[in-house]
Order: sequence, then structure tokens, then C-alpha cells
Amino acid sequence: MSTQPATTARISIRPQTLREAYDPPANVLEVDVINPETHGVANKRFTDYEVRLRTNLPVFKTKESSVRRRFSDFEWLRNELEKGSKIVVPLLPSKAWKRQLPFRSDDGIFEDEFIEERRKGLEQFINKVACHPLAQNEKCLHMFLLESTIDRNYTPGKVRNT
Amino acid sequence: MPPTNASNTHNMASTSSNLTQDKQLQDAKVSIKTDALLMKKSLDKIELLDGIKHASDMLNKLSSIAKMNNVDVPMQLSPKNYYEIYMNVTDELRHLETFMIDEFQKGFKFDDLYELVQYSPAIIPRLYLLITVGTVYIKIQEYSRKIILKDLVEMCRGVQHPLRGLFLRNYLLQCTKNLLPDCVVSDNEEDGDINDSIEFILLNFSEMNKLWVRMQHQGHTRMKEKREQERKELRLLVGTNLVRLSQLESINVDLYSSTVLPRLLEQVVNCNDEIAQEYLMECIIQVFPDEFHVKTLEMYLKACTNLHEDVNIRNVITSLVDRFIKTTVKLDTDETATEQQATIFDIFSRQISEIISSRPNMAVHDIVALHTTVLNLAIKCYPDRIDYVDKVLEITDTIFNNMNLDHIQSNSQVSKELIKMLKIPIDLYKDILKLLRIKYYTILYEHLDYVGRKTMCQYLLNNALENETKIESPDDADGLLQLINPLIVDSSDKPADYEQDAEDFIEEQTLVARLIHLMQSPNLDEQFLIINLARKHFGAFGKDRIRYTLPPLVFRAYELAYNYKQTSEQDEKWDKKCDKIFKFCFQTINALIKAELPAELAFRLFLNGSQVLCEIAYENCENILYEFISQAIALYDEDIATNKFNSISLIIGTCQKILHIFGEENCDSLRQNCVNRAAKLLKKPDQCRAVALCTNLFWNCKPRHSDGVSLRDAQKVNECLKKCVKIAAQCVDTSAQFELHVEILNYYIHYFEMQNENITIDMLNELIAKIKQDSTGLDKSQNECQMILEQFDRSLNYMRKKSIVFDGILF
Repeated sequence: MSTQPATTARISIRPQTLREAYDPPANVLEVDVINPETHGVANKRFTDYEVRLRTNLPVFKTKESSVRRRFSDFEWLRNELEKGSKIVVPLLPSKAWKRQLPFRSDDGIFEDEFIEERRKGLEQFINKVACHPLAQNEKCLHMFLLESTIDRNYTPGKVRNT
Repeated sequence: MPPTNASNTHNMASTSSNLTQDKQLQDAKVSIKTDALLMKKSLDKIELLDGIKHASDMLNKLSSIAKMNNVDVPMQLSPKNYYEIYMNVTDELRHLETFMIDEFQKGFKFDDLYELVQYSPAIIPRLYLLITVGTVYIKIQEYSRKIILKDLVEMCRGVQHPLRGLFLRNYLLQCTKNLLPDCVVSDNEEDGDINDSIEFILLNFSEMNKLWVRMQHQGHTRMKEKREQERKELRLLVGTNLVRLSQLESINVDLYSSTVLPRLLEQVVNCNDEIAQEYLMECIIQVFPDEFHVKTLEMYLKACTNLHEDVNIRNVITSLVDRFIKTTVKLDTDETATEQQATIFDIFSRQISEIISSRPNMAVHDIVALHTTVLNLAIKCYPDRIDYVDKVLEITDTIFNNMNLDHIQSNSQVSKELIKMLKIPIDLYKDILKLLRIKYYTILYEHLDYVGRKTMCQYLLNNALENETKIESPDDADGLLQLINPLIVDSSDKPADYEQDAEDFIEEQTLVARLIHLMQSPNLDEQFLIINLARKHFGAFGKDRIRYTLPPLVFRAYELAYNYKQTSEQDEKWDKKCDKIFKFCFQTINALIKAELPAELAFRLFLNGSQVLCEIAYENCENILYEFISQAIALYDEDIATNKFNSISLIIGTCQKILHIFGEENCDSLRQNCVNRAAKLLKKPDQCRAVALCTNLFWNCKPRHSDGVSLRDAQKVNECLKKCVKIAAQCVDTSAQFELHVEILNYYIHYFEMQNENITIDMLNELIAKIKQDSTGLDKSQNECQMILEQFDRSLNYMRKKSIVFDGILF
């Protein structure tokens, strides 16, 4: 007759509350790299991007921020992280030396297609970095994401915002 | 692991791989086929464990992991593609299930199978296999159904990935479809009863709902729209739980209202997600039977007050009301009628207000629409309860008043919804008089602006005309005319720049004119009141309007006079009443003249009235009749400039009919007036013909009404005809002269035959000779000439045939 099948004895679990079931997650983090703009002329010409952060992680001072950064700022961030932490920092998109040679028939690194490709690369990079729990404690990352200008003479250190 | 759920960040590796969705899908399908083949081969050899191993490999595709160069790579499957893989896999899985059942029936024992499948290393295959084996265990009835079901639904918690979890649990639902206990009390405790089934489904439902709602938080914000679309595609999976519940026959109203619905609503309300709430609330309405809804209406509507603000509550309430409207279940018990318990309508009415106050940002047009659904319910389910209708309208009116909403601009959404609402009683009652019994109908209608009210008026009138609604009492007529006021007067809120297409205006006023013909009281005195009332309403508001509205009123009055004459034997005062009617008509027609409308209209109305008067011929009607005909003649003199001949012909024709009513003095005056005007026409042929027509005034009439004196005057007829000949002689155009002579000849023939002693054969012969002489100088090739000649021949032939009468004619 009906019996219990083998191994149906389970450890009893605490039932989930409705809040636990339905509340939005507490670990949202999104960084968008968007709106590239090219400034200046001739040798002084450069492209910068809007870096927009949206998060609810308590380690960040504000829930939303928007700053403008150029490629060299990303390079600075990567260097700081490599120096200051034990993280294997992901690579940045290529510097595209070839495109920067003189006497090109096109606009080199200011071509729309190239800028879009670089934008995607930068977005991947910053998301990987910003999502890393150790990197999230680095002062340089917070400055990069939240401060309007980067102070390159800052004192490296950890952030404790919990 | 990064502490984020942003999937795009940790799926970077896969985006760089070149696998497109389709390629992944095709690969997965091929690999499923291979695994399934291997599984079936093993089963053929009765190697169950090998079979399970291959099944496990196959099920791995549902983990959406692909092997690339021996490295696990997550697949990016859309819900649609995942569904396809799911269908392929579960199809093949059925072979395994059949095999196991066969083997059990052959007497094999697999006591440890349930444990064995749990050694499968990956969670997705493990749980699919557990469910498959669990179902087999239940089917062969070897083990406790109750415990297995509970275990399965609990174990599925192991998958928290929304898409995979939803499909896994859907598989659970699919497998247990006909296996859930469905009895109130079980003979065998291990078998479980209805409560176990309810717990099973409710737990599965809340878990699925959780996963479904969570999908919303997966991935980048900018993909939100796409995710919402995908979630909507998956909603059926969640809804299946409710369908299963509704299929359990042991769930009765009590169980539903005490357990099932409260716990469903708890999940729906708390998930606080508009897509889930909108779908599930609708789903509850659709899957459960009407009598359940009737009993739990209050609970359901209370839950509605707690829904997310973005939920389109209008749709939810509308489907619920539609359900109630169509149901054959009795809405209210007999006790509710007697014991003052709340009826279904009361509950709706109260809860809708609650819902509205729970949403402070609700748009006004949505509020109106909600009340419209309740109004619909009130009229359709309680056709006799006008008080219910009044209540809904009163609440809506209060809302407008609280918001200070007046002159609601037409074409605004509020106006559109309000008009929709106000049309419902018109459409459903098919009797616009009922609207007059609804106190707040007019009050609410007054909130519309001028254009909106006009739209309503036209709708209302068209409905009355379509249904041929009879307006029998003066009160109703009065109420109705007040309601359609915007069509009758220039309201104070008529926009200064309001312009209307002329055709639209005519159409609108024609509607009002047609309404007059719907006003018919069986009581003649009341009918007179109605006509007077309408006259007062139409007043003197614009000559453009009375041009269309007053003439039908005059005709209705004429009709009433006929009716009085018919009942003259029962009503002593009928002639006095008729006198009143004609005085009313006289004034009404004069109003048209004062408004300086084309005189032709009043002219014809007077002539028409004269004929009606002489047909009714009540005592002492001579004076008013003289007024009618003399007004017509005055109009002819002063205001009619064109087509004088036609007009004088009409006057002469009318006079011929009515002369016998008059005494000698009036009679002579009228005849003389006609002759004078006929002779004064501008053109000679017109003069000639008109004077010829006047001969009728001296011959063909009935004897005089007052003293019976014959109105035949042979001498005068002769004089007129002589005058005609004289006028004809003055015509310069010979063909015209010829034509006139032929016509005059016919008059002579006519009066000769009528034995007018003043007409002699000699006169006829003289005229015939004149015509023959005329005809010699004519251009006979002309068509017109030919016709006149033919006519002349016909006249001669006529006399030839009656040669006894016309003895002595020289042909």
C-alpha cells in the first residue's frame, strides 16, 4: 500500500515572506556609457562620453550620477586599480594607434563607427569593474563615477560607506 | 561573482561568441534528438539507468548552457525559443515515463528510483527527472500521493532563475494535471484530499508569480520594454495555476471564499506589479464560475482598491461587470430584497467609490468610465430600479461638482466618457421619456458644454424617432423640450466663434421638426396644450430655427382641428376650440412673417389653412377664414415678387373652394379682388389665363353656406371670357395669340356644355373662325405650333362627337 518513497525526508525551510518574494533586488548596478561628443580642433581634438551610474548599493554615496569622461580617464582608472588592488583588471578597448597616424583619408579615431565601437568597449569595461566587490571599495572608482572632475593627485585609499 | 543581477555584465563572454539565437536553437534541437535517440535505445535494451543518464543530458539543454570547445557557455534564449526547446524535451521525456509505467506493471520494483534521479549533478535535469519519476509513482499508486506532491512542489524551489523556474513548474503542473486529489474527505489519508491540492497549486502559483514578477528586474533598464513584452508572453504559464484550481470540482463556494480567493488575492495584491495584477485579476474573473463571483464580490473589489496605480482598473471592473450582466445566476437572494441586505449593485457602487478614492491621481475620464460600467450593471441587471441609475448619476455629479467641472469641453476625454455614459440609458431603455424620471440625468447632462449637449440632443432625438416613442403628456413634452434646449435656443454658453455647417444645422432642426410629430396625446385638449407648449418653447428664437419648427406645429394644429370635428358629437364646445386653434395658427404664421422669412412659406400656410378651415366649417368661422385668405392676398401684393401667375392661380383655386363659406359681402369682395389682380398681371398671356381662371369663381361653386343662394353667375363668366378675348387680341406675338385663343375656346366649350345661357353657338363659331384665320399665318414647322394645332383639332373633334349638344358649329 501507499508508503513514503525513499529520501523524501527534507530539512524544513523557513517560508519566504511576501516582502522577500516580491521586493525589488537590493543589488542593482548599471553603468551606461553614452552620448559621445567630440570637442576641440586639430591636435587638441578629443572625444568624451557621458558615464551614467544607477545603483542602489549602499557603498555608493548617491543612487544616480552622471559625469563626462574621455578615454584617458578610463586609462587612468585602470592604472590606479592595477596599482592599488589585487584585482585582475579587465582590458580596455584598443588604443587604435593605426587610426592615429597622420595623412589618413578618413577621420581616424573620430569616425562615428569607431567611436561607437569604443563606446561599447568602454561600457563593458566599466560595468565589469564597477560590479566587482573589491573594486567597489577603491577611492579611484568612486571618484571616476561620482566626481565631476578627477583629481589625479588624490591619495589612494578605501571607501567605507556601509 | 559580481554582486549584481545585471545579466548583461556577466554574459559578456557569450555576446562575443558568434552564436546567434537561431543557430543556438537549431544546435540544441539536433542535440536533443541525438540524446533522445540514445535514451530510447537504452530503454529498448531495458537499461533504465543508462536511459536516465541520456535523458539527463537532454534535459541539460533546458539549463540553457551550451558546450563550446568543451567550455560551458550560457545561451541567450528568448522565452519563445526556450519554449520550443522545452516542448521538444518534454515530448521525448514522455517515452521515459511510459517505459517506467510499463515496467512497473510488469512487476519490476524501482523503490530507489526517486532517490537515484537525485544524484543527477545539474539541478535542472535533476528536478525534471524527479517530477517524471514522482508522477510515475503517483500513477502506479505504490506510494503516498500526498507526500510526493508536497515534495515535488517544494523541491522546485531549487530553481530561482525566472525563465527556467517558470517552465519547470509548468512541467510540474502539466504532469500532475489529472493526478491531484479532488475529494473533500479521502478514504486513505496518504492519498490526500482537496486541501492538499489547493495547497499544492497555491504554493506553485505563488512561486511562479514571484519568478514572473522578478523577471522585471533582470537586465538593463533600457531593455524594460522588451522584458515587459516577454513577460506578457509568459503570462499563460502563471495563469495555468488558476485554471487548474478552477478544474477541481471539490472546490465549492465556501472553500473558494474562505481559502482559495483570499490566498490568491494576497499574492496578487502584494506582488505590486501592474502587469501581473492586471492579468491575474482578469484571469480570476474568467476562470471561476459566476456564483463564486457573486458570493465574493466584496472581497474581490476590496482587493482592487489595493492594486498598483498603473493597473488599468477600468478593464478589470468592466470584465467583472460584463460577467455579471451575462450571468444566469441569480444576483441577489430573496432575503436581500426583504432584509435590506446589500445588493450586488450596492456593493459595486460602494466599492467603486472606494477604488476611486484609493487612486488620487486617477484621470477624471477613467472615473467616469468606472461609473459607466456600474450604470450598465444597474440598468441591465435591475431594469426596474431607476433609483439605482439615479444613484450612479448622482455620485458622478458630485464628483464633477467637487472638481468644479462645468461646461466640459467637447472632444476632451472627460466629455467623451460622459457622453458615452449618458447614452447608455438612451440605448438600453429605448424610451427617452424614462430619462425624464431620472432626476440626475438632466443635472449631469448640464455639465457638458454647448457642443456636447447638442451631440446628446441629436442622439436622443434619433433614438426617439427610431423607436417611435410617443410623447403623450404635456409634462413629458415640456421636459423633453427643456432637455433639447440647445437645439431650440442660443444658450448663454454658446461659443462666440461657434460656426455650424448649414447642412448640419438643417439636419438638426429637421430632427426637432420630426419630434413634433411624435407628440400625440390621446386627449385632444391635452394635445392642444402640447402644441401651445411647443410654440412657447420655440418662441421667437431665431428666424433660422422657426422656419423649420413652426410649420410642422401649424400642421399638427390643423390635424387637431380635424380630430375635434370628428368628435364634435361628444364635445359641445368643439367649434370654440377649433376657433382657438385657428387663431393660434394665424398668430404662428404671422410670427413667420414678422421674422421676415420668405413670404412664400407663410403664403402657402395661409392658403392651406383656408382649405382646412372650410373643410371643418365650424360655426362662425367666416371671419377667421376671411383673415386667412386676405392675409394670403396681402402677402401676394406686398411680398411675392416672382412667379406671380402661379401664386394668383393658387389664390383663385383656394377661393373657388372656400367661397361658399362667405356671406354676400365678403364673397363679392374676394371675387372682385381676384379678378382685379388677375387683370393686373404684367404679361398679357398671364393676364389672359388668370382672368380665364377667374371664371371658375363665378360658376363652379357650391351654393352659399349662409343663405343657400347659388353662386353661379352666367353674366360674369361671359364678361370674363370676353375680357380674355380682348386681352388676347392685344398680344403682338401671333403664335401666343393663337395659343390663347385655343385655350379660350376650350373655356367657351366648357361653359356652353354646362348650359351657361350667356354663351351662344355664334360666339363659338366666331372664335373658331378667328383661330382658323390665325393658323394660316403660322410657321407650322415648329413643334410648339404643331401641338397647339393638335389641341385645336381635339377640341373640334370633341364637339363633333357631341354634335347634338354643339348643333350649328361651323367646322
